[in-house]
This record gives sequence, structure tokens and C-alpha cells, in this order.
Amino acid sequence: MTINVHQVLSGAGPFDAITTEAIVFRSYFADWGWGGSDFAARIAPGVDGEITALDKLEVEPEDVLLIHHSAGFPRLERLLALTNPKLLLYHNITPASWLWDHAPLVAVHCAIGREQLLELVSAVDVAAADSQYNASELSALGAARTEVIPLLLDRRRLGTIDAPAGPDAPAGPRSVAPMVLFVGRLSPHKRQDEVIRAFALYRRYRAADARLILVGDPITAGYAQLLRELAEQLAPGAVSIESALSATELASRYRAADVFLCLSEHEGFCIPLLEAFQFGLPVVARPSGAIPDVAGDAVLLVDDPDLALVAELIHLAVTDDGLRAELRRRGQARLDAFAPELVAARLRAAVQATVAARAG
Amino acid sequence: MAIAGPRDGPSRGWTALSTPEQALERARAELAAMRASGAYGEQAVRRPLPSTGAITTGKLFEWALIEPDLRDVRSTRRGGAPITAFKRQLLRLLAQYHGELIAEQTRFNVNLVSHVRHLEERIEELEQRLADRES
Repeated sequence: MTINVHQVLSGAGPFDAITTEAIVFRSYFADWGWGGSDFAARIAPGVDGEITALDKLEVEPEDVLLIHHSAGFPRLERLLALTNPKLLLYHNITPASWLWDHAPLVAVHCAIGREQLLELVSAVDVAAADSQYNASELSALGAARTEVIPLLLDRRRLGTIDAPAGPDAPAGPRSVAPMVLFVGRLSPHKRQDEVIRAFALYRRYRAADARLILVGDPITAGYAQLLRELAEQLAPGAVSIESALSATELASRYRAADVFLCLSEHEGFCIPLLEAFQFGLPVVARPSGAIPDVAGDAVLLVDDPDLALVAELIHLAVTDDGLRAELRRRGQARLDAFAPELVAARLRAAVQATVAARAG
Repeated sequence: MAIAGPRDGPSRGWTALSTPEQALERARAELAAMRASGAYGEQAVRRPLPSTGAITTGKLFEWALIEPDLRDVRSTRRGGAPITAFKRQLLRLLAQYHGELIAEQTRFNVNLVSHVRHLEERIEELEQRLADRES
């Protein structure tokens, strides 16, 4: 059966995991002989040609709308007024309280997005989320049945631990000085400030030549500056903050790192965990949001507020070869649990359930 | 306090770990030993960010005064420095217009928050009077 699926995103950006997922989903749809196009209400520079402005959306009555929800939708009522079968894929929304001080406009989009969630849940034929944690939020809002379609990691994008993704990727040996890595938008809820504090302790008491790399697009230039100032104060010269990296550059950071440290206090999925598994990196993380769902037993989870304990876990993860090997093995197993073919099968079933729900 | 080498393994004769389940316990033991020898101190505790609590009237007053940060006007493209410079120059040229916009919006914001604060005080006063009457 041929189905037309139009994907609708609240926003699209060049380094955004949801945009990347939508583009890969489109390739699946094409493989299955399905049609449709992809639209976003807000399109950032750098997303060239693959996503169309939402006001150009035109649908036939049988077309399925796959609504990716991760922030407020302008003119949502117009979208929901369409009589087409609708599948919601909820990626979670950062609580606005994390963002009011530093990024008021993003906070507004998040606050509106959370308000819209109830409306979306009652308007769609099938509700899905990319983690059990996110699905439980839908259930709490009254969704009768929720599907889980994990966020897709496109493994080809970054290459593998030994094979660089591109011809110019440095594939040198791991650094001699320990390197700690975190990848994620520079934003208050990701707690890069805490990553810097924990790293400074690790560096002071365990590895004087250690380095920290924070990779991520800043939510505002001002917030990035605050992090830079904190880093200079606590670990002068040892912290690099890098933005707008290509896939090749990002892969080289994963290859060079010794441990991945995530102290986020809100995560709807956290795709960098899977990326760290892909590169065999041990991970130390705070078990917030969907992180335990994704991490399984393959991460050193620490909920203790004492950052000195985090520093000691970093030290163990860097120095204990037996532990590193076991974490690598478990990480590979977690990666298999999120294999693209499994995600594709769940996606296909959810779309077909959406069509069937309307037909029934 | 002596600092361990970057690749030195866990101290005090520990054997290598084989399961992550042991790691937290081992890290706690290592931390206790380190603290006993004077390392780390007591101030290494996670700090909540100041903005994540309830939004107070004081916070609303702070936000009512609009002060856009020119540093946030930038190009997100690689090699976008000339575009950033152009955007910022454009804003400088339009500074008078934006100044007027900001002034009018700030006037509204500040007066609205003042009004809300006044209403809150009246509610408190009326609740107090009601409580006094009932007691």
C-alpha cells in the first residue's frame, strides 16, 4: 500500500537531531515506496532545500501527517483543523523555567509547546514518543495507547571508532592527557556549568593535564560567554567550547576522548549517549529524564549532588581498563537495542496504525 | 596534596573493576580516602541554577526592562563573520527606531508588573481583613 506521509516539525536546524531524524525517515519512506514532503514552521539557515516552509503544506485527504513535537507550533490550530490521519511523535520539551533568564524567546516556544501538548494528544489518531519517559508524559495527559519510536541514530554520519567518516578526518591515537567530552546544546538545563565544575575537581586532584571539550551550539552568545568565563576561572586553558562542528570534526572529538560526561538535568532522549557508545566511550551521567531509558546498564549513573564523586567516577572510567572494556561491551549492546532497522520497523507500524485507526 | 598521574589507576591497591555496578561504591571509597587526606574539601556540591524556581514579582520587574544583547545577533553559518558584522551594523543604523520600540514596550511592561504587584498587595490586605473578621 502506498502512503503519503508529510512530516511537520516546529523547527528545523542543521545540527538538530530531530531534523536529522526527519531526513532519515524520509529516506525510509522513499525505500518503502511512500510519498510526501517535510515541512517546518521555523527553518534555520543551513537547512538547504530538504525542509519546506510550513505555510506551503498542501495535502490530499488520505495523506498522513507525522507531527514531530519538540517546541511550540505557530498556527497549530490550522494544522489540527486538517482532517487527515495524524501521528504525533513527541520528543519532549525543555521546561521553560530553565530558559527564561538566558533565552526568553526559546522559553516562550517551550512554554507554548507544553501548553499545546494536551491539544495535540486529543487531536491525533496515534500518539508516539521517542522514549518511555516521554511516552509516560503522553499517558499522563490521557493518551490511551502510546508507541515508543526511539530517536534514530544515523551511524553512518559519524563513521566508526576506527574508520573516519570522511577522508580528512584525523584518525590519530587517543590523547595522552585524559580528555573529557560532552556534546549537547550549550543551554542551562544541560548543566555544562556543572560539567566544568566536576572537571575542574578531576583535573585538580586526579589529572593535572586533563582537558575538557564541550561541543554544542550556544543557546545565546551571552550564555556561551558565561561558560567560558567559568571555565577560565576554574580550569584556565583546559576547556574548549566548540560549535558548528561538521560530522567529521565531531567524530574526531569522540575518537580522541577518554570519557563522556553528561550532567544534564532534563533530557528527552540524549542521542550523544548513543554516539558515545558508537565510539566505545565510557559514559558518566546523571540519571535525569530519559537518560536511564537510553543508558540501560551501560553507563555509570550518578545522582549524588557531590561533584567530587563525579570526579572520582571520571577517574575510574579513564583508568580502569576492565571497567572500560565492560562499559564498551554493554554500550555496544545498547546500540544494538536502538538499531536503525528496529526504529524503522516501529515507525512503519505506527504509520500503518494511524491509517488503520482512521479506516476503522 | 599530591596529584595522581593522568593514567594512574585507582589507588590503595584496588584490583581492576569488572562491572560498572561496583564502580559507584569504589568511587565513594576512593573519595572518602581522598577527603581523609585533605583533598576535595566540602564545597563540591551541585548547585541549582537561580532561575529554575518560581517566577517572582521581582523577577518580572527584572525582565520587564528589555535589554537585547547585541552579541546574540550573529550568523550561525560556518564562515559567517561577515554576515554577523553586517547584521550588527544594520542594527546600529536602526538604533533610534529600536530604542523607541524598546522604550514603549518597557513602559507597558513596567506598568503592568506594577499593577500586578498592587493587586497582589490588595489581595493580601483583603485576605488579612477576612481572616481577622473570622477569628
